[in-house]
Formats: sequence, C-alpha cells, structure tokens
Amino acid sequence: MPMAKARPIPGLTAQMRYSDAAAATIAVRSDELFEHAAGVLDVTQIEAVHAMRVATRRLRSVLEFYEPCLDRDQLAPILDQVCDLADALGQRRDPDVELEALAGFAAAASEIERPGIERFINRTSEQQQQANAELSLMIERIEADDLRGKLSALIAPPAPDPVDEPTGVTPEVPVDAEQQPAKSGWLRRR
Amino acid sequence: MKARKVKHLDPEGTLADNAQRLVAVRIDELYDFVPAVLNPKRVKKLHEMRIAAKRLRYVLEVTSSVCFGPYALTATKRVRELQDLLGEIHDCDIQLPRVQQIRAELSEDAVAELSQRAGGAADLDPALASGLSHSEDWAGLAALEHYLAVRRGLLYERFLTVWQDIERSAMRARLDYAIAERPSLADSDTEMNPII
Repeated sequence: MPMAKARPIPGLTAQMRYSDAAAATIAVRSDELFEHAAGVLDVTQIEAVHAMRVATRRLRSVLEFYEPCLDRDQLAPILDQVCDLADALGQRRDPDVELEALAGFAAAASEIERPGIERFINRTSEQQQQANAELSLMIERIEADDLRGKLSALIAPPAPDPVDEPTGVTPEVPVDAEQQPAKSGWLRRR
Repeated sequence: MKARKVKHLDPEGTLADNAQRLVAVRIDELYDFVPAVLNPKRVKKLHEMRIAAKRLRYVLEVTSSVCFGPYALTATKRVRELQDLLGEIHDCDIQLPRVQQIRAELSEDAVAELSQRAGGAADLDPALASGLSHSEDWAGLAALEHYLAVRRGLLYERFLTVWQDIERSAMRARLDYAIAERPSLADSDTEMNPII
C-alpha cells in the first residue's frame, strides 16, 4: 500500500530555535490533515481514509514532539481531539484493508469456498459501515469545535501588546507590563 | 502504549539538540522490545513495537535530513520498512481470531440445531447431521483461517530476517552516531527536509 508522503517543512534548520520550529512544523502538518479530509467518508475511496489517518498520526507526533514549546491548556484538548480522530480513522481503515484483502482471497477461492468467505466479507462490511457512521460524527464534531482554528491559535504569534501600538495619546502603562503573559500563549517561554 | 517522557527538552535550545534527545529515547523504546518479540507468540509486544517504530519514524521524518548526519535518512527508511511489516503481522493477528469467532458461532448454531433435530431420542441418527444450516460456509472459513495462520507465519519469518539485517548493519550504533552529527550549512542549503 503506498504511503502518503510527508510534505517538507519550509525553512527548517538544525540551528533554529526549537520553539520556532514548532510553529513551522505544526502549520504544515495541520494543513496536510485538513487537505486529506475530502472524500474520506466515501467507502469506495479507501485511500482517502488512509491518507488522512497518516496525516493525523504525523500531526499527533509533532504535537507531542513540540509539547514543551506549546501552551498546555491549549494543547490538551487539541491532542485529545486529534487522538479521537486517529481512533475513528483507524476503526474505518481496518475493515477497508480487510475487505480489500478478502476480495483478492475470494477471487482466488473455489466455488465451494466462496459462501464462507462471503459471510466474513458481509460481517466486515457491516463493521465498515458502522465505523464510517462514527467517523462522520467525529468529523462533524471537529468542524463544530473548530479544530483547525484551535491549531492556528496554538501556533499564532502573540498579539502585539496594546501598550506598543501608536495611538496618538500616551497610553497608561501598567507598572508590571513587561511581566504580562502573552495573550495567545502558544510559546510558554518565548 | 504511552510514549516515554523525554527529559531536558528546552524550547530556547536548538531544534537539533532537542530532536537528538527525543530520538535517543525513541530508539531506546524500539530496542526495548527485543528479545520479547523474538517469540512469535508475543502478539501484544509485536503490536507495541510497531507503535514504537511509528513514533521513531515520524520524528525522524521531520528532523533526519535537517538536523542529523546522513545515516539518519537511511535509518528512517529501515524503521518505516519495519513498521509496515509489523503492521501486516498485526492485521493477521486481528483477523485470525475474528474468523475463528465466526466459526465458533456457526459451530454453536449447528450443535443447537442438531440437538433440536434429535428431539428426545436416546441416541443420535447420523442422517440428522447432514445439511445443517451454514454447512456451506465451513470450507471458505477454514480456508481463510488456514491462509491467515500460514501468512502470519511467513510474515513473522520476514520480520526476523529484517530485524537480523537491522542488527547486522548496526543501525542503533550508527543512528546514535548520526543524531549527534550536525549537517554542514552547505548540506542544509542543498537538501532541506526531503520527503521520505
């Protein structure tokens, strides 16, 4: 089975700061995930599920890899949802692969062997339909929860501090303005 | 299987130094399944080794070409090969019990049907055992069960060969060395983060 290829990460270098690499890598892996969502519920296009599943694993892997650079409160629900999506895709993928192999096996079988193989194929098809229904719900939930937006917020650079913006009037600067945490908080120690 | 925690990761440090720490832990995780997986019956360990290979592979996919010495790319391909093979073994390990379960269910049905045919008889007439429901399913299910069992055995033999090759080629030592190397600037300019 050909594996969906990982896209290169533009600008990544050995000596760049780990936390800068986090944003660059997660942005690419996040895009890959949503690009592979098209056609994923079509059981006749099993490669779409495969590609999205691999993209989910890659995204999960980089989220875990860059965990020390990310805001834990933002990351935890994202990681949970990515894991749930990976599970739902895995549940669909298993019967997909099985049915493909069984079709080949049935084609090579004798007449007398076919009914038993058909019985197994029917049971696997039921599993595939059930898994597809669950995957459909999972995708709806991801859209409703705006996973994509949350991923963007996770790696968004902190909003400029309002005290730095030229307003034409002298802003009232809090005494401890320098100690204020970044609003988006994606890089805990940036 | 939970991934092992990686200590001393530093967001202010370089990507390569942090990746080195992480990859070192993921290499340990992979190799910790040996010798357990050299026993073909350790189904769970083989499955967990596949997950460990997957974790190592995905982090190498991002970092091997930009952060490490050239052998890291070779190792990425070997790890992927290992992961794929373990995945095929896992597929057999999942399917085989499912086929056996269907056969067991049909067998129970057949026994129940035959008992009903026997009624209150003191002994069983052999003719009653003929033409039971689902009898046409047996040949195909038996063929499938045997196919999966034998294929699993062959894939496992392949796994042993692949693992032996990995050991012979000293992948661990070479990868440990490669993750401590840093590509020259010229290398990173010409081949940045190629697709594995």
